Amino acid sequence: MNRSLIISFVLILAGIGVFISASKDVSTYANFKQAANGGKVKIVGQLAKDMPMTYDPQNKPNEFEFFLTDEQKTVKKVILHQPKPQDFEMSEQIVVTGELKDDVFNASEILMKCPSKYKNEEIAIKNEVSGL
Amino acid sequence: MNDISYIGEHLWVGQLGHFAIILGFVTALLSAYSYFKSTRNFSDEALSKSWKLLGRYSFAVHGLMIITLISVLFFAMYNHYYEYSYVFAHVSEELPLKYILSAFWEGQEGSFLLWMFWHIVLSVFVIRTSGKFEAPVMFTFAIAEAILVSMILGILIPWGEDAIRIGSNPTTLLRQVNEAPIFANADYLSLIKGRGLNPLLQNYWMTIHPPVLFLGFASTIIPFAYAFAGLWLNEHKEWLKQSLYWTLFSAGALGVGILLGSLWAYVALSFGGYWAWDPVENASLVPWIILVAGIHVHIVSINSGYSRRSVYFYYLLSFIMVLYSTYMTRSGVLGDTSAHAFTEMGLGAQLQFLVALFTILGLGMLIYRYKELTNPAKEEELPSREFWMFMGALILLFSAILITISTSLPIYNKIMSYFNPAFEGKVIQDPVDHFNKYQLWIAVFVSILSGITMFLRFGARNWEMQRKKLLVRVPVFLGLSVLFTWLSSLSIHYYSWQHWVLGTAGFFGVISNLDYIFDKARTKYKMSWAALAHLGFGMMVIGTITSGLNQKHISTNPFVFREIFSENDVKKYVQLIKGQPLFSQGYLITYVQDSLVERERYYKINFQKLNDSMEVVETFDLYPHSIYENDFSKVSAFNPDTKHYMGKDIFTCVVSLPPSLMSLEEAKKVEDSIKYTTYQLALNDTMHIEGLIIKADAVSFNPTNEDYAKHTNDAGLEVVLSVQDTVDDKQFKLYPAIGFEDAMLYNYPAAVAPAGVRIKLGEKMLEKYYSPDDSLHYQDFTIKNGESFEYKGYTFQLTGLNKSPEHTNYQKQDGDLALGAQISITGNNMKEDMEPVYVIRENQPMSVKSYSPSSGIHIRFSNINPQDEAFSFKVAMDNRNAGGNVVLDIAKDIPRNDYVILQATIFPAINLFWVGSILMMIGLLMGGLNRYLKTRK
Repeated sequence: MNRSLIISFVLILAGIGVFISASKDVSTYANFKQAANGGKVKIVGQLAKDMPMTYDPQNKPNEFEFFLTDEQKTVKKVILHQPKPQDFEMSEQIVVTGELKDDVFNASEILMKCPSKYKNEEIAIKNEVSGL
Repeated sequence: MNDISYIGEHLWVGQLGHFAIILGFVTALLSAYSYFKSTRNFSDEALSKSWKLLGRYSFAVHGLMIITLISVLFFAMYNHYYEYSYVFAHVSEELPLKYILSAFWEGQEGSFLLWMFWHIVLSVFVIRTSGKFEAPVMFTFAIAEAILVSMILGILIPWGEDAIRIGSNPTTLLRQVNEAPIFANADYLSLIKGRGLNPLLQNYWMTIHPPVLFLGFASTIIPFAYAFAGLWLNEHKEWLKQSLYWTLFSAGALGVGILLGSLWAYVALSFGGYWAWDPVENASLVPWIILVAGIHVHIVSINSGYSRRSVYFYYLLSFIMVLYSTYMTRSGVLGDTSAHAFTEMGLGAQLQFLVALFTILGLGMLIYRYKELTNPAKEEELPSREFWMFMGALILLFSAILITISTSLPIYNKIMSYFNPAFEGKVIQDPVDHFNKYQLWIAVFVSILSGITMFLRFGARNWEMQRKKLLVRVPVFLGLSVLFTWLSSLSIHYYSWQHWVLGTAGFFGVISNLDYIFDKARTKYKMSWAALAHLGFGMMVIGTITSGLNQKHISTNPFVFREIFSENDVKKYVQLIKGQPLFSQGYLITYVQDSLVERERYYKINFQKLNDSMEVVETFDLYPHSIYENDFSKVSAFNPDTKHYMGKDIFTCVVSLPPSLMSLEEAKKVEDSIKYTTYQLALNDTMHIEGLIIKADAVSFNPTNEDYAKHTNDAGLEVVLSVQDTVDDKQFKLYPAIGFEDAMLYNYPAAVAPAGVRIKLGEKMLEKYYSPDDSLHYQDFTIKNGESFEYKGYTFQLTGLNKSPEHTNYQKQDGDLALGAQISITGNNMKEDMEPVYVIRENQPMSVKSYSPSSGIHIRFSNINPQDEAFSFKVAMDNRNAGGNVVLDIAKDIPRNDYVILQATIFPAINLFWVGSILMMIGLLMGGLNRYLKTRK
């Protein structure tokens, strides 16, 4: 029998196998409602700017609390188990990975989309007008 | 708008640059056309040659233009010509000169120029060595160059109501791209300053990583161009011999570029690892994998005539994937799935065109010639080297496809939402886990194949003999590998059977390739470069198990990679208070102090390794640091510091600081929230507050407060306090101080961090000890030069007169007659020289007072009697024996700011990973050199 045919056949089978098994790794972004069903999910949303943010590095360096508004406009408390990320307040969009437990979202990872610091900035004016 | 004639602009720079861009674009097109004509008329030697020369010359002009543009742009950046938007966006006055190269390629335009620069450098060698393939090979170069120049062309093409912008021109003026009121000022240049380089990129990695990586990227065009030329000329043999060293070089350069990026991430960034399967990382890895697959079938093809189609396919695909990755990282399509990509510039469509054009050109040509590419009639022998090398390449391709599909998810989402706006984008839940899971098996296959295949021969020559060898070696090596894996499992953990398999495969790769090197070293040393690269791969595999799977945080205990502990229990970061040691993982870790060097603050972390009987066996310091924003307004990044051992690395990174140290804004907030209460305390009396017993020891006029010493003060005051901390049972002294300079008061508080107490001196203290001039009671004395007088226990001696006196409160004017009296004061255990000044200005006598803050003496030079040569002085003294109370403003519950939040991680045997990957690169480059010498002979 033609060997290259066998190889192609095996590879295609392997490909299909990987594809099926890998499709479990992929999902859409969830919202808080879906997260209530349990399990690890990724939630995309915005920082609820009118709600308090707490980071007490002195006592809990690994816990940063804030409130997130998901795409359905549901607001829930998020505990990020990491120090407070830099420029957090500037974020336009936040993606957190974690689980919802007792109505609090426990996040292990965070990705923020920030407006580029070096792009839409006003033209910086020198502090002192030179040319004296 | 252009009716203003602006001051100080250097317009010739931009004009020259723009001219270079246009001419560079046109000559690239001309060169491509000429080389095309030359290839088309291949049979007509004279005609072909004249077209070829035209192509060559126009490419030379093109190269000259690109180099001109680079020089011009660099010149403008070097001289801070902020009228140019690219200069404005990437350099600033504060930017050290050593980072100007980094600033140059920070932006998309600069990095495109870097890419073109390497194409031009490479083309010099390609033209010299490619012989009859010059025209078709250089055709590809010229086409690529034309498209790359178009990325910085910056012209607008009208399109209906809108205009399409082609490229972004780095010589555009700032006032052409921004509309701001400031441009109404003809002298706007004197008012603006550049934005400068992102502080994160201000390090030497940014200077070396991009040029090497882009050399790698740029060189992948050579295999593509040769493959394309081979197909075009229908010549499928000769170019294979000519180009192998180029491919090896290209894989080496690209590999080193990727590795430098990975080193950068590990050594200098706070990522805490060397590979994260980030889309930007994957985008450069995929072309490399395909290129390596290509090299394998290339060697097969040269030696046996098999796998020709594969060679073409891999080489064409590798460059296409380079372009595809350029599209992914530069068009903004990755969105929030990547931690690092270029800022978007609206080049998406142009980049898509670039990918599409080369895909159609390359693969179209392959399909066109497909039928003519024949293999030898007989299939490869099963036990032949060519067959298993082919299989290895296929596995690499499989790996590249898997990575590409996963990484392309954002593009899939984009396409789907184009057809269905309600489509919800898909994401990979746990990318690192996802990629590791599948690539693990690729690594297993590659390790094992690389071990066995080296012992096979092309065309299965000598199979009977080889079989005997293999029948002995494979079982022995396999046994040894299992043994080594088991031995290593005594010190590192293999968490699953898959990892056991991976570990065994890694050891198998190492052992069998070592054996090959020792076996063949004497006779066929030239072939050992391949074994060296394979050996490196095996080591790298083991290195990922030790350093990736087994990394552990010193701060707490858990091994993090596996979920032994629930994820939230993994407390990776630990608070380290200054001076308070923390014991973990056999180390006593102490945050000793911090110090500022330029824009970076270094935190000295002391590690003491203790043995079982708690004796210090080793001590060392690490200096993780924080980087401030260019204007010091806040901390913008943290960089790690790592202690390297042969067998492991100890990685530390400060990940957070007390809020008041993170930014000025936060510091002000904290300061504003502090409430002070005023307390009066008599000398030698005590008071109790927050578990502290505070006793006022003394008042001093020579403050020793650390912060006080850092400023220039005209005078100051300090109270020495003895403090007993009843909670920690400690005794210490505090030195709150106050000072003034030019009538401004400065407070230098003292703090007891554990108790959250801060003490500053009340401002009333100064008034009390420093008397205003009008409340002083001056006493008059008249003496001659050399004589002295007594006042309140001090002896004042006039030691000399100074005709050009200097005094902070005296500014000389024309016509002044001034005389300084040099007076030496002794007594009460002090000695001091003072120089009051007597001035006659416009016939009016004036006296400029001299004052000694430490003793409280005020002295004026009040008169001169020329006849007797006698000089009069007025002397007074602050009323410092006022006694009474010390005034202290004390605040409680101050958030402490004497700690860092630290991540400390041990990476066991991470050197296996680095040494392994470096060996791979050495193997590739050695092979390239070896092949070059052979080809050029």
